[in-house]
Amino acid sequence: MKPTPSNDWPIRKLMGPLLRSIGLGALVTRVILSHAADLPSAVDRPVDFERDIRPIFQARCLECHGADKQRGGLRLESRSFLLKGGENHGPAVVPGKGADSVLLRAVAGQIPDLQMPPKGERLTPSEMALVRAWIDQGAVWPGGQVHQHWALRPVIQPAVPRTPVDLPEPSTPVDAFLLSSLGEARLAMNPRAERRVLIRRMYQVVLGLQPSDSEVEAFVRDPRPRAVELMVDRILSNPRYGERWGRHWLDVVRYADSNGFETNRERKTAYPYRDYVIRCFNEDVPYDRFVREQIAGDALGVDLGTGFLVAGAFDLVKSPDINLTLMQRQDELADIINTTGTAFLGLTLGCARCHDHKFDPVSQKDYYALQAVFAGVGFGDRTLQVSLAPKQEMELVRVRNEVASARKEIDALRARQERAVSTKSTRPPVSAGLNVEEFPAQEVMGVRFQIHASSSSSEPGIDELEIFDTRGINVALAGPGVRVSASGTLPGYAIHKLEHLNDGHPGNQHSWISDTPGRGWVKIEFSTPHKIQRIVWSRDRGGQFKDRIATDYVIEGSWDRDVWKPLASSADRKPLVSEDPNAFITQLSPEDQIRARGLLEVVQGGQDRIQQLTSGPSVWLGTFSQPTNVHRLYRGEPLQPREVVGPDAVAVLGSLGLKADAPERERRLRLAEWLTRPDNPLVTRVLVNRVWHYLFGTGLVDTPSDFGANGGRPTHPELLDWLADDFVRNGWSIKRLQRQILLSRAFQQSSSPRDDGLRADAGARLLWRFPPRRLEAEAIRDSILAASGALDLRMGGPGFHLQIVEEDNVYRYFPKESFGQPEFRRMVYLARIRQEQDSVFGSFDCPSGNQVISRRTRSNTPLQALNLFNSTFVLQQADLLAERLRIEAGPEPVRQVDLAFRHAFGRVPDRLEQEASVALVNQSGLPALCRALFNTSEFLFVF
Amino acid sequence: MELPERPHPLLNRRAFLGHSATALSGMALSQLLNRDGLLAAGVSSKSPIRPSIDPANPNAVRATHFRPKAQQVLMIFCAGACSQVDTFDYKPELIRRHGQPMPGGEKLVTFQGAQGALNRSPWEFRPRGQSGKMISDLVPRVGALADDLCFVHSLTGKTNTHGPGENFMNTGFTLDGFPSLGAWTTYALGSANENLPAYVAIPDPRGAPQTSGNCWNPGFLPAAFQGTDFNATKPLRNLARPSRIDLGTDRATREFIAKINRHQLEGYPGDTELAARISSYELAARMQLSVPEVCDLSTEPEHVLRLYGADAKGDRTQDIKAGYARNCILARRLIEQGVRFVQLFNGAYQVGGEGTSNWDGHKVLKDQYTVHGEIFDQPTAALIIDLKQRGLLENTVVVWCTEFGRMPTFQAGASGRDHNPSGFTGWLAGAGVRAPFSYGATDEFGYRAVEKVTTVYDFHATILQLMGLDHERLTFYHNGIERRLTDVHGEVLSEILA
Repeated sequence: MKPTPSNDWPIRKLMGPLLRSIGLGALVTRVILSHAADLPSAVDRPVDFERDIRPIFQARCLECHGADKQRGGLRLESRSFLLKGGENHGPAVVPGKGADSVLLRAVAGQIPDLQMPPKGERLTPSEMALVRAWIDQGAVWPGGQVHQHWALRPVIQPAVPRTPVDLPEPSTPVDAFLLSSLGEARLAMNPRAERRVLIRRMYQVVLGLQPSDSEVEAFVRDPRPRAVELMVDRILSNPRYGERWGRHWLDVVRYADSNGFETNRERKTAYPYRDYVIRCFNEDVPYDRFVREQIAGDALGVDLGTGFLVAGAFDLVKSPDINLTLMQRQDELADIINTTGTAFLGLTLGCARCHDHKFDPVSQKDYYALQAVFAGVGFGDRTLQVSLAPKQEMELVRVRNEVASARKEIDALRARQERAVSTKSTRPPVSAGLNVEEFPAQEVMGVRFQIHASSSSSEPGIDELEIFDTRGINVALAGPGVRVSASGTLPGYAIHKLEHLNDGHPGNQHSWISDTPGRGWVKIEFSTPHKIQRIVWSRDRGGQFKDRIATDYVIEGSWDRDVWKPLASSADRKPLVSEDPNAFITQLSPEDQIRARGLLEVVQGGQDRIQQLTSGPSVWLGTFSQPTNVHRLYRGEPLQPREVVGPDAVAVLGSLGLKADAPERERRLRLAEWLTRPDNPLVTRVLVNRVWHYLFGTGLVDTPSDFGANGGRPTHPELLDWLADDFVRNGWSIKRLQRQILLSRAFQQSSSPRDDGLRADAGARLLWRFPPRRLEAEAIRDSILAASGALDLRMGGPGFHLQIVEEDNVYRYFPKESFGQPEFRRMVYLARIRQEQDSVFGSFDCPSGNQVISRRTRSNTPLQALNLFNSTFVLQQADLLAERLRIEAGPEPVRQVDLAFRHAFGRVPDRLEQEASVALVNQSGLPALCRALFNTSEFLFVF
Repeated sequence: MELPERPHPLLNRRAFLGHSATALSGMALSQLLNRDGLLAAGVSSKSPIRPSIDPANPNAVRATHFRPKAQQVLMIFCAGACSQVDTFDYKPELIRRHGQPMPGGEKLVTFQGAQGALNRSPWEFRPRGQSGKMISDLVPRVGALADDLCFVHSLTGKTNTHGPGENFMNTGFTLDGFPSLGAWTTYALGSANENLPAYVAIPDPRGAPQTSGNCWNPGFLPAAFQGTDFNATKPLRNLARPSRIDLGTDRATREFIAKINRHQLEGYPGDTELAARISSYELAARMQLSVPEVCDLSTEPEHVLRLYGADAKGDRTQDIKAGYARNCILARRLIEQGVRFVQLFNGAYQVGGEGTSNWDGHKVLKDQYTVHGEIFDQPTAALIIDLKQRGLLENTVVVWCTEFGRMPTFQAGASGRDHNPSGFTGWLAGAGVRAPFSYGATDEFGYRAVEKVTTVYDFHATILQLMGLDHERLTFYHNGIERRLTDVHGEVLSEILA
């Protein structure tokens, strides 16, 4: 409920004293409390809020604690505001406890420095007694909270008015409501429009195209009693339907195919959202589901829906300047919040970015609560999560099973291999650092270290090889009587030389590395025998390198340098844990190796296929990440954060019940569910009204995106509610709703003007006639193409261009001057470029894609006339229509004219028209007539 | 023509009366009555005024809110952000401290990042006119008109990036999609000359400005108030009779359309939208005669062409200068013909690298501004001189503005200036403007507005004020909001009014 108008409007200053005097006039006495401790006792009777309390609030409190001003952060126009309280004193009321409530104590002067009202007369004891009793009795605020405003009240199914029995034609419940208001205005409905007019209107309004000549003739001659009904059913199942209604929705969600702002680069990956919208309308996806998909489609298996969130303009220009960056982000989120508010709720939530809403019960906190819902939404391309066709779904299951069983088998092989190793392996695995080999002491003339495999595929290396005799002396250390040799040494490195093997300097800087990948040997020979019992070796004692470790090796000793006997080997060592989980395969038997490699291929191939099946193309969609805390921003300034605000809905309509740190996706999902609860009074009323608006040209509420206190009131509130209620009862089906309206007498009546109607209701808001109107840009262009026969009905895919695109850092667009098949598709498939309207049809009030447009303006301007009269596009279509007429009608002008009228208007010309047309054809040729027909009001209007 | 989302006042009030049982509804009533301006005169001075548009002639002249000081607007917009410290904002301290760091400058992060030292302008400043206003050698001819100019040196913006900055100066919002100043003006006032568009935007010879059509789009206003864009070299699209259609055919076709439309209208007497359609064709026919006429500069005498520099030739710069000069002459001719709002652009979108095609001098300011100054100065000065000598400045307010200002420092490691919305200059001239006059000031370096700090909203409010419009009352209802050019801000700079 809106207590006061904006403080910009001094009316409040005039009304204030007036109301105050009304509030006070009823009082018998005025007693100023003598001291602060006195609290008047509660009146001993049930208190009625509307009668007893609201006038007090109105007269004494709301000037400072209302929509305009919130002194101390306190508002008193709803129970929830009272329960929330102000900034400094906690809740204003504790229901049931009047004496403990700040509100009462403040008006009673019990709180130091908080005497309320601060100026003027205090509340009288009897007023305070009422307030106390009201709180004691639970602070009941009828209608829940602020629901005095019509749009916020629950939708309750109204009774259908009785219609006069003597109606010439059957009427629907829709008509019953309309006739009832018409009766009050002493107006009647027009008679039904003739069939020719009716089918044209139905096609233009529902499909955005005129019917073909044969469709018109078939309908006109259809003898079946249900002919109209059948025609309505046909058009509702025509694929052109989704293109028409999808375009309406794209207006509402400010969709376009470029980013806008300075760079205005083309957004080439946005169109899948457009196609999804068209599909949804064609398939009559229930609206509640559709809404949920817009907000949280990623959680519902319909990822494409989230294109809604990011369909608006996006500034690509980023800067190190933090002020700019923060403000850009605030603007992005505001765009999402505004669009959500206007599209679904019909509330201008954006107004609350800087301050509490002046007219509607939306607080600044509500705005930031919604920002917390969307704070994790980012803009950009990402991989589409796809949902699969049943066949693909089956394949996916099969491939997943195959991969799983192959993995299982590989795991079994690995386990077996590891078991085999572990039974014979007792020593620790080799390491890059010290590896100690101990064996029974024996006399040798030499030691040979043979490497058969290394930890990396590269050449193995040893930084130091020490051989200790029984006295503990390293007999391998370079010196007289010690000779080293090797299979080979990695050439070209001073730090890797054979002499480093036993130079007493371990570490990679002084190491030997083989010249053969995975293999090699070194040998140390003595001039005198040594009794040895321990060998120590390493790859890099410096600890830097962990590659090139000998993993499969044998160390042998020889007495005669001819016969070598093993001293130690890697056989009893546990395997080195490799980073490659499949390295074990090399340890397997040859047959098992083949088997294992086959299994690996199954796994790899299966994973690739799963990837293919489950990841879609890159699409411009909402991207999501867990947001950090959202703060209320003082006056909307990013650098003035105030308290943290958790994710929630508009408080006056309910709560999402989310924790402050709820997961990102859950926030949106909860909001989506909350929006589409059947008892949300706004979402259904707004949708039903949008449909009405697009069918009749004006909604029952003529502000389709503003159902707030500042918006229009419904002309037929009961009808609106009856439709909304019926809509929910019947599964949120938009097509069913439309069918209901299309079958009404109101929609099917003639559009002829009548004096009485024009006098009483020029805009035909009461629907005494069907209101004629100019077609939208898209419908005009599509209709021209349909008439000429050039229309290309291919659906979906990347948009076509009516501009030549110059791709640079900044994109530029220059109007095309010649057109062919690609440009002859329906205009909904035009790549819609922000700032750059199509040079012919853009001037017909085409939305720019920057603002939510729920009701297009409808101008008739000289520029439109020039574009239709002189543009290359229209002239080309005139030629094509002329060509078509020559082929279909032959050379005779009378027949050509007849057919021209059928293609353009769905009727034959009357005598005046025929004479004028034939004269024009004879004088100026057939294309001149075609050019003219595209410029007539009859072609451009719905009648 | 139909305006969107305009609550039906009668129905609203009726609906209200049905709900008036509670005390609070009384407030709602007053609010509604108030909004519709239906309360007794004098009750409220700030109730919104939505012009009443005749669908058959949307640009018919409409009443101002109060006595106007100007009838027409010529807005000259420099794309790319023209530097104040190299043109009109003279700062001796900047010259004195040339090469030194700006106090606090090391901490500043501007659009492209870090700052280098303070840098004096490469151009000398000299006293100009009787008033002795210090203006740089970059714009000597405009400078010579100092006595006719009213400078606002303390403008501040809300953004330091081009797209939003250009939107802001042209539409009052940083975001895309809001009606331009010209659209608001023609929506409010219509235009005296019905044979020409009410609002013409003249793009630079190098191309459209950075946010292109945003600068002259109607936003959510009806398409009737869109700026019509053409210039001296690129004629209005679809205006001329197509070459393949002979005159006789064209005329016969037009007559046929009129006949059929009138025939149709017989069945729909009193239908305003159909009548509007017919009159739009009549208007178009008149425009086909008068637009080519106004665009035909061949009747301009040699000395006028020379005055503007339209005879310039020799290199690319001179060619562009000649093109801009011709646009300036076109602007004068449009003003002469009574076009309500003319928007003239100097500088285009970014093409050929940063700062080449517009005033975005980040890195090589001296070289780039030498070119831009040469193109801008003579034609612009000539335009004002010409308007003045023809007496047109008595009814026309000329507004010069840009996206935002530039830093008094050079960017770290570069010889040019970064974006700076904290203080920049615009100027006005002509009807209702106090001149010579300088309003507000930036700090000692020309960095930040410190005296009489002014916003773009104030600038816009003042322009509307000169046109006899109260910026707080000129509204259009869109998606639940009474939209204004100045949003919820703006104060008229009454000091700069004559």
